[in-house]
Amino acid sequence: MTNPKNRSVSRRDFMKLTAAGVAAAGVGSVLAACGAQPAPTEAPAATQAATAAPTEAPKAGETLKCWWWGEQEAPGVENWINETVAMFKEETGHTIETTLQDTGVVISEFQTASAANSAPDIQFVWNGVYQMEAAWLGYFEPLDGLIDAKMLEDASPTCMNQYEGKTYSTAWYSCGIACAYNKEMFDKAGLDPEKAPETFEELMDTCDKLKSLDVIPMSAGMKDTFWSEWYHGHALSPNLDTPADALKLYAGEGLDWRDPRYYDVWTKLGEIWNAGNINDDMLSIDLYPAIDLFGTGKAAMTWLVVPLLNAQKEMLGGEIMGVFPYPMSGQGKLNNWPVLDTNGWGISAQSEKKDIAVEFLKFMQRPERITAVWDSSKALPTTKSWPGGEVIKDPWWLDVWEKYIHGPTAQYVPDMMPGLFWSDANLVNAQKTITGELSPEECGENAYQVVQKWREQSPDMLEKYALWAESMEKVWNEKYV
Amino acid sequence: MLRTKRFTPYLFVAPMWALLLFVFGYPIVQIFNFSTRRIRGATGPFIGLENYRQIFTDDIFILSVKHNAMLLLAVPILIVIALVIAVFLYERVTGWRFYRFLFFVPYVIAIPVIGHVFSNLLSLNGAVNELLRSIGLGVLALDWLGSEKVALWTLMGVIIWREAGFGIVLFLARLLSLNEELLDAGKIDGANWLQRLWYIIVPELMGVIEFYAVICVITMAAWVFGFVFVMTHGGPANATQVMELYIWKYAFRIQLPGIASAVAVILFLITLAAMVPLFYLRYKDEGTEASA
Repeated sequence: MTNPKNRSVSRRDFMKLTAAGVAAAGVGSVLAACGAQPAPTEAPAATQAATAAPTEAPKAGETLKCWWWGEQEAPGVENWINETVAMFKEETGHTIETTLQDTGVVISEFQTASAANSAPDIQFVWNGVYQMEAAWLGYFEPLDGLIDAKMLEDASPTCMNQYEGKTYSTAWYSCGIACAYNKEMFDKAGLDPEKAPETFEELMDTCDKLKSLDVIPMSAGMKDTFWSEWYHGHALSPNLDTPADALKLYAGEGLDWRDPRYYDVWTKLGEIWNAGNINDDMLSIDLYPAIDLFGTGKAAMTWLVVPLLNAQKEMLGGEIMGVFPYPMSGQGKLNNWPVLDTNGWGISAQSEKKDIAVEFLKFMQRPERITAVWDSSKALPTTKSWPGGEVIKDPWWLDVWEKYIHGPTAQYVPDMMPGLFWSDANLVNAQKTITGELSPEECGENAYQVVQKWREQSPDMLEKYALWAESMEKVWNEKYV
Repeated sequence: MLRTKRFTPYLFVAPMWALLLFVFGYPIVQIFNFSTRRIRGATGPFIGLENYRQIFTDDIFILSVKHNAMLLLAVPILIVIALVIAVFLYERVTGWRFYRFLFFVPYVIAIPVIGHVFSNLLSLNGAVNELLRSIGLGVLALDWLGSEKVALWTLMGVIIWREAGFGIVLFLARLLSLNEELLDAGKIDGANWLQRLWYIIVPELMGVIEFYAVICVITMAAWVFGFVFVMTHGGPANATQVMELYIWKYAFRIQLPGIASAVAVILFLITLAAMVPLFYLRYKDEGTEASA
């Protein structure tokens, strides 16, 4: 008699076993999935209750998902996140599960997850259209009524997170753009180290003098594409009268890229490049390595964002770094205004625990937590009531805060740029200006054509952009005019 | 003899068919469906062939198709390089095992790693150009990735460097199972090395070469995203834009998945067009062999 233990497994036996295993796994998954679905009558009721009664004491011990980004830009904020989550758990008993997102998926991942009905409860947001497109699809919950109006106003330093009178996010840290310069190099080149260039002509003269030191006057890297967006943020605002003008340009509503005032963005880029004022390998290196050319003393000036100031300052090794707004010599009312942008937090419309998500957003806005952002990362908070003047002891940083956060600031206009304009006009024009393939006029024409293409491809967005421009203009006029 | 009803075998294979249809069929049908809609979020209104009209009137799409077509030039280069190196290795040149390992290593390195390393090596002031300048060949120090004129060719060179390894190993494996008497007979008849390669080795390897050619065509048409995304992002100024990157751009950057799906449909049909002739040839060959 054959011992069953010694019997070899035939191909048929193997197939049977495999089939049985796959079937068991499949049935298990199906059952689990069915079990995980909320009863159809329960879900809306739960959502309704959560929306209607945000101030009711939440149930203890809930778990919420939070997707975020920022460590890449402001090193140190991860510690802040971990600390905040731990403190929130200790105080409320609720767990916030955090996931750090990759830069490449910040825009798309939340929308994709929302389309699949599996969005996180709390989502980090870049400002402007990056959040608005999702808000227009109904994926973000307006925060009005959930968060006290005063707190919401305090935590919304730019008007790019508002649409038709509703606010969709609370601010976190500033990510406005600036230019940095090396005071020692200015001194060696016979320039006043305490005076940064204030006009485009002064900038060009400054670059000429710096060339005598055998250093790169300004460093930039565009291979990974992002620099073109920053530059656009620096260069377009000075030719605008209000931030809403940018929306009108991007949507082709009343303003035209073929006007020399607007394609001046690329005119000046061409001038500064053709004069040899930017590193020659600009098209073959990435953004951050190019900025590091400044920090390592190979370049005298660079374009960067406020959260990167600290790293560059430390690389340079002291107080020899100065900061100034890019001097475009524009024709608009926003000329020479520092540019402010802020990252923030929104709540998913699909969240069934909105009450707890709201509590977490409020928790993040506590003065002690806001100060902790500054302490952990040297990223400057943008919450209006934050007493930066008292908290910041270092005069260098105090000056930056007063200029770039606290005083009047323009909006970072690329946040309003449709994706098509970003890739086919902003990036292509900048790169083709450098390669010499397009003249400024041709850049203006290309930008105009891209806008027309966008209007054809996205007719459903036209009305939204028009309304957005209208509401932004209203908010802006109330604030500054 | 075991008697079964006519449909019984189909019942046995039905679960596998259902699984295949779900895993492959459903997404393909959905991509066709999406390509006729203006998708926002999960769905959108039916707009007929408007997405196709949009892409065929877009110069950047035409450019990306052209770039994929130019990358196909790498296919014969890959076949020749892989074949010649495989034959050298087959002839047991000194240290052939080490060389086999060396040639195959690029194929097992992740594409993002390769892309990142070559990006640094090939930047205008990178190691390659510094070396060229240091030996007095500064005139050859081009902006490999930053110049519109050379970026696509540089990309092609890196792709060839990586993908040749697979061909070498594939051809070598087939060569090692070759009946050596054929080559010996060729030698006795006075055939030189090139003649033996052309009249004996190539015909014997034809099946594998066909397979490798199809794999290379598919790679160049639909598998170069990783290289392009890491090394050039499609730039400078769309000089390395390819169809896959165009799909990514519309799906994730521009947030118009309908247009991305229309391009995916076109790419799918191109890939299918590359595969069908091979399957047909194989089918024909098998039929001929069976009848012989």
